[in-house]
Amino acid sequence: MPNRSRLKRIATRAAIAYFVAMAVAVTFPGVTPFNTIRPFIFGVPFVFAWYLCWIVGSLLVFAFLYKVFSE
Amino acid sequence: MSDWRVVVTIVAVYLLINLMVGLRAGSRSTDTVAGYVAGDRGFGTLVMYFVTGATMFSAFAFLGGPGWAYSRGAAAFYILAYAVLGVAPYFALGPWAARLGRRHGYVTQASLLAHRFQSRWVAIIAGVVSVIAITPYVALQMRGAGIVFQQVTDGHVPLPAGAAIAYGVVLIYVWRSGVMGVGWTNVLQGVFMIAIAWTLGIYIPYKLYGGIGPMFQQLEALRPEMLTVPGLDADGARWTHGAYSSAIAVSAIGVWMWPHLFMKAFAAKDDATIRRTVLLFPTFQLFLFPLFVVGFAGVMYASAPDTADAIMPHIVLTSGLPALVVGLFCAGALAASMSTGDALVHGAAAIAVEDVYSGVRKNRMSQHDKRTLIRWMAVAVGVLGYAIALDTNLSLVGILLAAYGAIVQLAPPVYAAFLWKRATAAGVVSGLLVGICVTGLLVVRPEWRPLDLHEGIVGLAVNLATMVLVSLVTRPPDTDHVTEWYRTSRQGA
Repeated sequence: MPNRSRLKRIATRAAIAYFVAMAVAVTFPGVTPFNTIRPFIFGVPFVFAWYLCWIVGSLLVFAFLYKVFSE
Repeated sequence: MSDWRVVVTIVAVYLLINLMVGLRAGSRSTDTVAGYVAGDRGFGTLVMYFVTGATMFSAFAFLGGPGWAYSRGAAAFYILAYAVLGVAPYFALGPWAARLGRRHGYVTQASLLAHRFQSRWVAIIAGVVSVIAITPYVALQMRGAGIVFQQVTDGHVPLPAGAAIAYGVVLIYVWRSGVMGVGWTNVLQGVFMIAIAWTLGIYIPYKLYGGIGPMFQQLEALRPEMLTVPGLDADGARWTHGAYSSAIAVSAIGVWMWPHLFMKAFAAKDDATIRRTVLLFPTFQLFLFPLFVVGFAGVMYASAPDTADAIMPHIVLTSGLPALVVGLFCAGALAASMSTGDALVHGAAAIAVEDVYSGVRKNRMSQHDKRTLIRWMAVAVGVLGYAIALDTNLSLVGILLAAYGAIVQLAPPVYAAFLWKRATAAGVVSGLLVGICVTGLLVVRPEWRPLDLHEGIVGLAVNLATMVLVSLVTRPPDTDHVTEWYRTSRQGA
């Protein structure tokens, strides 16, 4: 099953890349460009929404990983 | 009936339901250590989801989270950042640990490490570190329960009595049912805390300011410094970038190292259950949003609580909500405290007996005797935690961050066990000892921390360097044993 293991490897690397990017984006200095109050997103300060978006994004990444690993 | 009596009645009913669920769950496990500590490796997705979420988010999240948003503003966002980052490795490492547990009979994290490194000293040291870190964390949960009781009854049930009542219930169901009691009560408690958090997080800003958007707009005009990271420090000055970022790092690396969370991998039914738990975890984590909103609502509130951690009960009590809602809030906050406290008490007791006591005495106890000893140890951990909880000068999130400094030192041994075949017992033990000493030193001497970094991160760096250096200069581990261990973790028994 070379294609299956290749897909698993790609999915794992993509997930690692996402979480490394998240670690950079939520700490200093990575968060600096997004560290503003405006624009409000659905009434929430921009940087607050920034953190929430990374959590929602992780849900999608986990869903992709789960699909690949459970087939 | 006066309002506080209505509240106490609701809480009493809630505690009674918890007790019934917890006691009933015990009939589903065998009379073995694996039954008492790992639920006979039979937890499905529902229980694993709530055990993971409700155990991770405790009184520190339910009371300390709003407390930080209220007193330190966006500094609280560090909690949003670390949890998902910390859980992500569990997607791969959780099933690996579970397969090894099924093959070799592990029920604790330290027993996995001891077998991998073929050294009982690894188990003893890891076990001692775990118990030392867990005990103040238990105290934190008890204190959270006591604060809630004291606030909502207007002092009629003082903190010591409130903590004793809630944790009396916890100790009874942990004694009877072990991890099965922890698991099934966590389902009930998890549902309760999520429902209460979202209800209050939407209702309070709407009632006080006309909605979440108008609330943040008013706050922007009044206190803009509260709404951008890194927020404020404990004295109200701007928190440093180093302290904020390293708080995220130490918590993200440390969160899965907590033995009471790690060892739930041994309770899962199969690999897919663990993966589904990780997949669904962010849905649980989003309940931090309404909790922070309540904290921000407190910044412009007409009156202030005695301590920042009490902002949520303070608003609930003084904003004219009916006693029924106050009672349900109280139950939700107790759920947050108890759902973590029970796992901590149970986990610390299992580790103290399975890893430390058995490791030092080198004796072979019967399954029944070991199970009985774990029960008594749970009572001892509960009593010790209670004594610490009565110290009035403790901050909920502050305690948690200090405990993370100790627990994060387990990260190099755990990751090396799974990912670095050359790691040796001597390297792991020396790294752990050096890391803990450095962390302890920086707790006593915080002015020595470079760049205002969290003491646990500095200790972790020294721990890692020591482990690598000592491993490379000591005799490599037995190749056959390590190869077989790796094969089992990747492919199963």
